[in-house]
Amino acid sequence: MYVEIKNLSKTFGNFTALDDISVSIEKGTLVGLLGPSGSGKTTILRSIAGLETPDSGDIFIDGKRINDTPAGKRGIGFVFQNYALFRYMTVYDNIAFGLKVQKRDKKYINERVRELISLIGLDGLSGRYPHQLSGGQKQRVAFARALAPNPHLLLLDEPFAAIDAKVRKELRTWLRETISKVGITSIFVTHDQEEAIEVSDRIVLTNQGKIEQVGSPLELYRKPATPFAAKFIGEGTTITGYFQLKGFSQEQGYESALIRPEFTQVFKQGKSLYPHMTNCGVVQSSFFRGNSQELHIDVQGIRIIADYSLEEEAFQIGEPVDVIVSRLFLLGDDQVLAVENQNLKNVNTVVI
Amino acid sequence: MSLLTFTRGEICAMNIVTTKLRRFAPRRKAHVIPGFGLSVGVTITLISLIVVIPLLSVLVALSGISWREFWGIVTDKMVLHAYQVSFVCSLIAAVVNCVFGLLLAWVLTRYKFPGRRILDGLIELPFALPTAVAGIALTTIYADQGWIGKIFAPLGIKISYTQVGITIALIFIGIPFVVRSVQPVLEKLDSQYEEAAQMLGASRVRTFFKVLMPELLPALLTGFGLAFSRGLGEYGSVVFIAGNIPYKTQIAPLLIMGKLEQFSYAGATSIALVMIVIAFILLFSINFIQSHMNKAAKNN
Amino acid sequence: MKRQIKANITKILLISTCVIFVGVMLVVPLASVIVYSLREGWQVLAKTVMDQYTIKALQLTLYAAAIAVVFNTVFGLFSSWAITKFRFKGKNFLSTLIDIPFAISPVIAGLIFILIFGRIGWAYDFFNSHDIKVVFAVPGIVLATIFVTFPFVSRELIPLMHAQGTDEEEAAALMGAKGLSVYRRVTLPHIKWGLLYGVILCTARALGEFGAVSVVSGKLRGKTNTLPLHVEQLFQEFHLTASFAAASILVVIAIIILILKNIVEYKGKKEDELHVR
Repeated sequence: MYVEIKNLSKTFGNFTALDDISVSIEKGTLVGLLGPSGSGKTTILRSIAGLETPDSGDIFIDGKRINDTPAGKRGIGFVFQNYALFRYMTVYDNIAFGLKVQKRDKKYINERVRELISLIGLDGLSGRYPHQLSGGQKQRVAFARALAPNPHLLLLDEPFAAIDAKVRKELRTWLRETISKVGITSIFVTHDQEEAIEVSDRIVLTNQGKIEQVGSPLELYRKPATPFAAKFIGEGTTITGYFQLKGFSQEQGYESALIRPEFTQVFKQGKSLYPHMTNCGVVQSSFFRGNSQELHIDVQGIRIIADYSLEEEAFQIGEPVDVIVSRLFLLGDDQVLAVENQNLKNVNTVVI
Repeated sequence: MSLLTFTRGEICAMNIVTTKLRRFAPRRKAHVIPGFGLSVGVTITLISLIVVIPLLSVLVALSGISWREFWGIVTDKMVLHAYQVSFVCSLIAAVVNCVFGLLLAWVLTRYKFPGRRILDGLIELPFALPTAVAGIALTTIYADQGWIGKIFAPLGIKISYTQVGITIALIFIGIPFVVRSVQPVLEKLDSQYEEAAQMLGASRVRTFFKVLMPELLPALLTGFGLAFSRGLGEYGSVVFIAGNIPYKTQIAPLLIMGKLEQFSYAGATSIALVMIVIAFILLFSINFIQSHMNKAAKNN
Repeated sequence: MKRQIKANITKILLISTCVIFVGVMLVVPLASVIVYSLREGWQVLAKTVMDQYTIKALQLTLYAAAIAVVFNTVFGLFSSWAITKFRFKGKNFLSTLIDIPFAISPVIAGLIFILIFGRIGWAYDFFNSHDIKVVFAVPGIVLATIFVTFPFVSRELIPLMHAQGTDEEEAAALMGAKGLSVYRRVTLPHIKWGLLYGVILCTARALGEFGAVSVVSGKLRGKTNTLPLHVEQLFQEFHLTASFAAASILVVIAIIILILKNIVEYKGKKEDELHVR
């Protein structure tokens, strides 16, 4: 393991930011620290960087305990949330700063800075000051500045938070590609699940100072370990009385269930092929979602959200529909149980 | 210094204590930015040397006299009267400064006119002009034969060597405080704010008092507090124009000066202590208003 | 149309009120110093200005101001760094302590040094035995000047550095930059105009300090008389023209300071608008 965090705790006054956290990160991966605000994700990042001193616990990088190594000597590159570019330095000087501190020779600095400027695609803008750059460009400069001294580890604090939505998507792809090109182990913090899923190799999901789950985005999506993980990743509505849905029965210790839009199928009344699995519902409202239609359906008092292709004939509000639910995540106190529709198992020979 | 010599045993004992403490105390806080120890150390040392120790000397000096003596000095009729003159003149001056300070800040931020920058630059004249120079200049022009005193003398109004003169000197010295407190707030206050109120049909006067005033009040209060506090302590610009007539134009700082000239240190120090306490109350009130202002600004 | 005229009248009325107020309250006193000092002609003015006591007083004033400004600039740099770049217990208290000299009457500022170093002071014996005279001598004047102008530089720097935050310094430190290097390359460019502004204000106040210095000086002509004290003495002795002549030196300095101050303020504002957005 490249980065190892063992039993890390940190309190601010009487607020517990980190509660005995342990996590390890493999070399060469891009890890997303995901969680709601106040969940401790930023504290983990700042502790690794040395910007925050944990109350207890150890941090290892490449097998070396770095708790007592000063922040500036940890060999870490840090990209700040609001970039923290040096406002009185040009793009060139910003990127060169770390190298100048290391007292590298001028020729090397010049080469390295040019190389990075072309990596971030800002050729020709090296003489500009931060205020002359757009948000996305500033972000790229901050990234290059962190990379310049060849760190072993790159940390990014909410790298896309300050950028407007349109540029954000583009920058995400760019960052992912560039990091894999450079091949540096990276950890970034985000509160946006979509961002974490899209960018990271692995996600560390935090909540209330604890780690809920660690895994690949797909694992987190398919096999949420905790009710929090199930609710935080992906879309879905929590329902009670899930056992009233056809094909499901009550399980001991699971009071409610999470249902995702992609677990449900909606048909015009009478068009369902499997009457023994079909629940009757009424369309309550529908929203145009750009690439699909979102339906809110009342099934015997249970409110279900489903996506419906725009290619199909649209539903009217108040229209009775057939609804098939294929899977559910049953939510316990601490655990999640994924259950398939029992009736669906019996007909798995039929290809839908 | 003898205070700082320890025996070897004592040092050993201290080491044990500190290592023990270190084990139980939370780990040293991370200061990523360098220079914490040095900058805090220098700051505390210099504040102690220049401000704290000298001020504590007032208490040391007063430890020699009894409470009754102290009370006797500070409630002496002449002393009380001097406080009263200081207080009333400073208060009137601060109120006048609030009116004109607000007006000046308004005109300087909302109107563009030739000479605006010069007018703006002149506001700080009382900060830049040595108080003694202001003092002799004001005394001379407000004296009976002076440029302005001449106008009022035939009407039987004397300005120099009266409380009116003191107040004028304090207006002079206090005006920048109010303007410079209010001006930045007015600058930040978007004119859209007023426009919005006017779109809703509010009259100009109503807009001013209902919409702008609440926003400006903390800054105005700060300016008032600063001007008032400066007025209470002011010496250079009032000493000449006051004339130091007991029961008439004797102000508190002049009284301290008088006691010192008579080598009545207990008297001077007692009066000073009362003024220091008042100054502290004002200082804390101003800081309180300002921290509230910052909080309000953050909430927006 | 009618509304526009009304607004214009208000505008003109308000502006004229302000101009009259500033004129009568601020400009007339300033002008009077120049006029009165020239009342008996250039020669008298020149004679007073070139008078050896005036020159000695000016020298002492500049000397005390120079020390106070250097001292308080050093203090301002350290204290603003401590207060804006770190979080620690007692920070607010410390920052209130810095303000105290602003709140206290200059006369009391002088008095406290008499209470330490004067004949009745607790440190008198020590200094007397080493033959050092503090009160009624130059060191006392310097000390009183330092006290009175103590907060100027730090009060300018603290809000400025507070607004700037700590991100850039943290970023620099994370890259391994040492303290001085962080200060010189990252912080100083931000605060240079503010620093200069603080130094100018500090200089103005130090040159003009009267109350505190008046208490500790002893007012020995040619020895412990600063220029403002010299002005006072001439005035009290009814040498009005001479007094105003000596004062005119201070006025000229004040005007220069005022102009410098405005230039610095303007430059700082312009740069600020450029880089901080």
